[in-house]
Amino acid sequence: MNCSDVRDALEAYIADDLTDAEQAKLAAHLAGCDECTAAYERTRAVVADLKGIADAFVPRERFVPRPAYAPRPAGGWGWRIVAVAASVVALLAMSALTVPALARQLPLPLTREIDALEEENESLQQQVDELSVRLETVGGEEVAIVDSAPGDLPPEVNAAVQLLAMDFIRAQYAGDLDALAAMGTERLKADIAARPQDYLRPVGAEIVFAQMTEAAVTEDGTYLVFVRLSDSVEWTDSQYQENFEIKLINGVYLVDFMGMDA
Amino acid sequence: MDDRELVLRAKSGDARAFTTLVRRHERSLYATAYAITRSQWDAADAVQDALADAYASLRTLRDPDRFAAWVSRIVINRCNGLLRRRGRVLPMEEPPEPQAFVWDGPEDGLDLMRAIQALSPDHREVIALRYFRDMKVADIAELLGCPAGTVKSRINRALAALEAALGRHSEQEVPR
Repeated sequence: MNCSDVRDALEAYIADDLTDAEQAKLAAHLAGCDECTAAYERTRAVVADLKGIADAFVPRERFVPRPAYAPRPAGGWGWRIVAVAASVVALLAMSALTVPALARQLPLPLTREIDALEEENESLQQQVDELSVRLETVGGEEVAIVDSAPGDLPPEVNAAVQLLAMDFIRAQYAGDLDALAAMGTERLKADIAARPQDYLRPVGAEIVFAQMTEAAVTEDGTYLVFVRLSDSVEWTDSQYQENFEIKLINGVYLVDFMGMDA
Repeated sequence: MDDRELVLRAKSGDARAFTTLVRRHERSLYATAYAITRSQWDAADAVQDALADAYASLRTLRDPDRFAAWVSRIVINRCNGLLRRRGRVLPMEEPPEPQAFVWDGPEDGLDLMRAIQALSPDHREVIALRYFRDMKVADIAELLGCPAGTVKSRINRALAALEAALGRHSEQEVPR
């Protein structure tokens, strides 16, 4: 090992990345060469300083993952019936565009992951192609309606459920907790009282309703509808989803559960 | 709990597990982004966007043991996107002390960061990945899509440049 070889390998030596044999040779050279020893000391000092600042930047703004929608474990409300609808609504607006786009931006070789992703997206895209999406006016807004749920509901039921979801979202953006509670079951009222911040959105923001599913009904009579939307304040670059469970109680449709989804 | 376990939990919908992962990695990710973008504001944007990307696409991470490298890649990608958009010029004068971060390091640490930021883009990148993100040369090579030998020589040249910038260069040239 000459001085040039040693200088090239110093960094790996400091990082303990050399084989035992290489390490021994390099150490032997250092023992007999003052210049390389000095170079070793300098590099080791810089490396130590670099490692010392790796964790020194404490962000003032912390990233907080948005609460993912978590289905309730009990109750068996037949989520699976409309799971395809949910994934498709999410896919239409997000996955099919964002995920492969993200993957393609990443430098190779991530090929394995990209291939798997593209395969997955292709199969989901097929499901999307088989669905019909049409523009309809709900609550005065033109929204893309995804016709994905098995078993069509009577139009007046569908309209009532969709309108309730839309009114609920408008009340969220109005910051009107009383109105939200008035649209909810006892269970939802209690949840709003316990965690009002989960229900409030930027007050006064313009809402852009992007997509909405047709209402579906589960075996136990719970209506489901998913809405994708963005707004002019917080969700400007991407959309999010609100998943609603709605019950018909004494002739009145009431929101029993609302969960946010990416 | 190690990264692997947290990733598995996060993939099954546990947002707290993802938050724990973020807290574990965010400082070195910010340091990486700040070194590469040279702007604390861009760094903060890049990391926030990258973490949102990571959260949204966590299910695509096949090997939970690779979270650190995977999230590094997303941050690098976001940083390079920002650099491309602003044409590699600084958009505004940086204040002497970063305001997007609280500095929790040694007194002269910011001088070292400025020395890193004065390096070429290729050198900033390898230094950040190697020492802030603690990545192996082979992993950096994979992430950047270049041979390991290239990464090694970039690291060596970058370290020499940092030593020189910090006034720690040798009295004489390396004999060749």
